[in-house]
Amino acid sequence: MDRNTNIEIVPENVALPSGLYEETVLEVTHWDIGLFSFKTTRSPSLKFHNGHFVMIGMLVAGKPLMRAYSIVSPNYEEALEFLSIKVPDGPLTSRLQYIDPGDKILVSKKPVGTLVVSDLSPAKHVYLLSSGTGLAPFMSIIRDFETYERFEKVVLVHSVRHVNELAYRDYITNILPDDEYLGELIRRQLIYYPTVTREAFQNQGRLTELIASGKLCEDIGLSQLNRESDRAMICGSPAMLADTCSILNDLGFNQSMHTGDVADYVIERAFVEQ
Amino acid sequence: MTYIVTENCIKCKYTDCVEVCPVDCFYEGPNFLVIHPDECIDCALCEPECPIDAIVSDKVLREENEVFLKLNRELSQVWPVITEKKEAISDAAEWDGVENKLQFLER
Repeated sequence: MDRNTNIEIVPENVALPSGLYEETVLEVTHWDIGLFSFKTTRSPSLKFHNGHFVMIGMLVAGKPLMRAYSIVSPNYEEALEFLSIKVPDGPLTSRLQYIDPGDKILVSKKPVGTLVVSDLSPAKHVYLLSSGTGLAPFMSIIRDFETYERFEKVVLVHSVRHVNELAYRDYITNILPDDEYLGELIRRQLIYYPTVTREAFQNQGRLTELIASGKLCEDIGLSQLNRESDRAMICGSPAMLADTCSILNDLGFNQSMHTGDVADYVIERAFVEQ
Repeated sequence: MTYIVTENCIKCKYTDCVEVCPVDCFYEGPNFLVIHPDECIDCALCEPECPIDAIVSDKVLREENEVFLKLNRELSQVWPVITEKKEAISDAAEWDGVENKLQFLER
């Protein structure tokens, strides 16, 4: 498909709706046939909490076509970063997957969301449980200094079907531990547990099964998930979300019901497979 | 798919929902709020914010609430957008849960 037929550059003289910024694409990474991420410029006035999402999009037939995306980058970084699947007939991603550095995209001015560390009550460990692009908000949260102040261990679990879908694996395992500012915290407190369901890998199986069977905690050397010492944040498909909530509820965990409600675990309510 | 504001909001108008909406799709009348169904992205954040459970998804819409789907569509096209939380109506607590409030809707 010719990408030029798909992308409408925002014309210079067209006024954008007041709720949107126009940002410039800086870098695009294609992880897999169905997965890519990209960095954009960030308006200095865009403030957000790590774990928040914004609407991003493009002009289609002169109108903004916007979808919710968790912000991958931490809130102290100059650029914004997003992770996206590619849906061949998806209204937005069928176009967005062809962006190149220099292209313009639209970003909403109002980041919101329920995946915030401040809505978790104090405990020893926090589990960041994700599937697919549900990893995105946790990339921001694992680079937030506050996460490491609040919890002794931060366990990032990322469940995907194929190894190629383990976005940021090299960054998390090889680059982040050497980060000038975060490196020491990452080495001491972050436990990364990628798992693959449809091909051979060091960790295999669905996240829900790994939790319920106790294998996850056994592998990482922590006691089985329990309400006294552990908190959780969940981001993934609606099915993964429902199954994981059900396991946590059975273990006696209480879910945060709305923003500001401090509880044992929080979930991303706005995850949409676009 | 959209969320809609239903009867219990009338004469209460707590505005907690407005703060969390990523697309600012709430519109404000004298004693009621509505959601613009074409702007709502179905993100579900507003529903649990409402202290009086007035917001519901159209996926689980009860028959008696169908009139509110129409009202949300109609009034969101004439009322001004509201993007920040404000004080609820002074006697809001007294009206929470009162039945048949539709007759009090001010346009």
